[in-house]
Amino acid sequence: MKKIIGIIALVLGLSSCNGIFSGLYDVVSPDAMPFGFKEINEADHSGTIFIDARDYEKWTYINLEDKIVDTANMLHNDEEPQKWHFAIHRYDVKTNGGEARQTDFLTFDELRASGDYENGVFTADTLSKVIVDMSGMMNGVLLYHDSEVNKVLSRWLDVDTSVMPPIYTMSGKVYILRMDDEMLAALLFTDYMNESSVKGYITIRYIYPL
Amino acid sequence: MNILRFHTIFLFIIMLISIESGFAQDHNSEADSLEIYVPEEVKMLETVVITATRTPKLLKDVPVVTRVIEARDIKNVDVANVQDLLQAELPGIEFTYSMNQQVSLNMQGFDGNSVLFLVDGERMAGETLDNVDYSRLGLDDVERIEIVKGAASSLYGSNAVGGVINIISSQIDKPWLLKLNARYGTHNDQHYGGTIGFQKGRFKNTLNVQYVACDAIKLPNDGDYGTIYAHESLNARERLTYSYKGLKLTGRAGYFFRERESQQTSHDRYHDFSGGLKGDYVFSDKDDIMMSYAFDQYDKSNYSLTSHKDVRSYSNVQNSLRALYNHSFAKKTTLTIGGDFMHDYLMTYQFVNNGSHEQNTSDAFTQFDWAVTEKFNVLAALRYDYYSLSDLSHLSPKLSLMYKFKRLSLRASYADGFRAPTLKEMFMSFDMANIFMIYGNPDLKPESSHNFNVAAEYTRNSYNLTVMSFYNMVANSITTVWNTALNGMVYENMSPLTISGVDCSASANWDCGFKARLSYVYTNVDYHENELHLSSTRPHTATVRLEYGKRWPNYGFNLALTGRILSSVTCDEYTSLTELTDTQRVTYPGYTLWKLTLLQHVWRCFDISATVDNIFNYVPDYYYSNSPATTGTAFYVGLSVAID
Repeated sequence: MKKIIGIIALVLGLSSCNGIFSGLYDVVSPDAMPFGFKEINEADHSGTIFIDARDYEKWTYINLEDKIVDTANMLHNDEEPQKWHFAIHRYDVKTNGGEARQTDFLTFDELRASGDYENGVFTADTLSKVIVDMSGMMNGVLLYHDSEVNKVLSRWLDVDTSVMPPIYTMSGKVYILRMDDEMLAALLFTDYMNESSVKGYITIRYIYPL
Repeated sequence: MNILRFHTIFLFIIMLISIESGFAQDHNSEADSLEIYVPEEVKMLETVVITATRTPKLLKDVPVVTRVIEARDIKNVDVANVQDLLQAELPGIEFTYSMNQQVSLNMQGFDGNSVLFLVDGERMAGETLDNVDYSRLGLDDVERIEIVKGAASSLYGSNAVGGVINIISSQIDKPWLLKLNARYGTHNDQHYGGTIGFQKGRFKNTLNVQYVACDAIKLPNDGDYGTIYAHESLNARERLTYSYKGLKLTGRAGYFFRERESQQTSHDRYHDFSGGLKGDYVFSDKDDIMMSYAFDQYDKSNYSLTSHKDVRSYSNVQNSLRALYNHSFAKKTTLTIGGDFMHDYLMTYQFVNNGSHEQNTSDAFTQFDWAVTEKFNVLAALRYDYYSLSDLSHLSPKLSLMYKFKRLSLRASYADGFRAPTLKEMFMSFDMANIFMIYGNPDLKPESSHNFNVAAEYTRNSYNLTVMSFYNMVANSITTVWNTALNGMVYENMSPLTISGVDCSASANWDCGFKARLSYVYTNVDYHENELHLSSTRPHTATVRLEYGKRWPNYGFNLALTGRILSSVTCDEYTSLTELTDTQRVTYPGYTLWKLTLLQHVWRCFDISATVDNIFNYVPDYYYSNSPATTGTAFYVGLSVAID
């Protein structure tokens, strides 16, 4: 029986057996969108950061001055980098002793036109808990880890888990990050997925120094 | 003017003659008037159907109860899609939402993967959460839809467990035709369609294009979902036929595209490419043969609004070869022999490294449709299916009996149904948002069922009454079960269950222009498991259609009131997916939805429709996945033009 089927399969012409018109789609290779800093414009101090924040155990630390991205595993007690300005864990954001505020601006152009950088309430990080292990969720067990989190910066993405699948809504707002050395940065989170629409990949546009 | 409209006018004229004749003559002369007046119920029984036997056969002679929805019905009830149509016409059918607003079917206790959808007899590639993409099934170019409830694997193989729904495309029989239609309604619901066709010499050609779009709908109350995604779709189908003597060659090609605005920065896209070549050859008045090749490719992709990349995540490609031979004996007795071969390829993000699997399936079947006497018909069928990858085979027998006694037709049948494990169910390895894995199981057994139907159909003049009881013994249903060792879900075969019930339908068509149809289905799903009621199938459902219409040479109208009545359902649901110990009792509320449609025919070529849907303004207090996705009363207007 198998031989007969094999012969028929050959007769069918295997060229179309795996589909046609594959050229309609984009092929995204893992190297197509490298992680880290890119699209850097030295003239207006802007650029884009693309990070992989899928791992629940890791914080991804961003050093805006030296344009360095580094990670540290919470459960392995990895040490934080010596110098960093803000960090991302999944969709949580924290600062390195800084403060943040959410503006009403949707673009950097609007922000620059206003010149309104510091006119507002800045909020510092607070001690919170972040999820480090989702695998026990079906048994009602989630593992958390104590960590500082900036509640204002973390508003960039609202994840409504009251429905399945969760609804992800980005604020689309520009955030001002004020470092502990009083330097300012503008942050605009533009995506939480990669080109293949896999969640946990975050794209951030920035201006530093502002 | 298409053939259906011609028939309608012709029938109407005949009805008028009949009415006039009836008034002119003694009212006792019923037999005389019957000679020229053909009530719709009787006419419907003269409809040629094909699904139940895979050979053309008069509906009244089919030994398996077959429900037919004609193009006229589709127009009169003014529906936007096949889901709305089936729900409006057939009780026991419920389209709900499953995860991520994917559409899911329940037909009298059977899920979407146990009901086989065919388009002109061909399977559809692709599935999402065990359901085909129903939005591919446009209604613009449909001649009729045949619904056969109950198992039919002896003819159609896998998936034909709970029934077969076959959408038959219309055939052009005029030198040329042009049909255009537009429909607009609440929530910016838009539907535009066009059909152009010609017939010249031995050639016939039909091209149909449909476009559908709707805005996102924000639901007014809490629920399992808060906003229905905006969507649009495009469906184009081309069909060319060449006929010469006993030979008929049909080539077809189709393209489908749908986009859902499911994420803020990413949209879901669905593409389908289909094509085929079919040859029918009648080489004697007793023998005919059909051979066909069909190609269907269903893709899913994610379109990123930020990077503008459209990345494919799923592709199901089916190449099928079919052959069917019929030999007719005397007295409406037919022997059918056939076989199919299909190459099934599946690439999906749910496989390891976005990989692929493929397999070949083949089958052979035979059916003997024996008219023992004018009144007594026996149909016996047997089919053997083989699946190469799992080395799985299945034998599906069927036996149907029909006995006609005056106006009463009695039918009884036994049929085997089965559903082979899909490539997805065998090889899935999917990380569900870092929460758990879902694993396939290559050792799955096929789902199988023993289906018993007994039906009585009584037809007299304008009245038809059909009562059917059904009993299904289902074994090895495939579902996902928590596996503690793997800390994930694994596809497994379930314990046996039975699905039984009664399906009743009564219709009448009075001379004065009134028509009525009332259908009711009772369904009971019994899992035999700790006396738990695990099914969310609604036990009682009914549909109602009341129509009144008149027609003159340049004007006609049809007013249709349709209603769906669905009972509440109380079921036990496990409180945890990982430990099947504790349950909670959940009640999903019943509801009714009513729709009023006025269809006006002007100058023979214009149809103007106005519809008020959900006229009693039903709004769910909470939107469960099986609640109707309505925000209350909705309004639609439509215009269609048919020129030939």
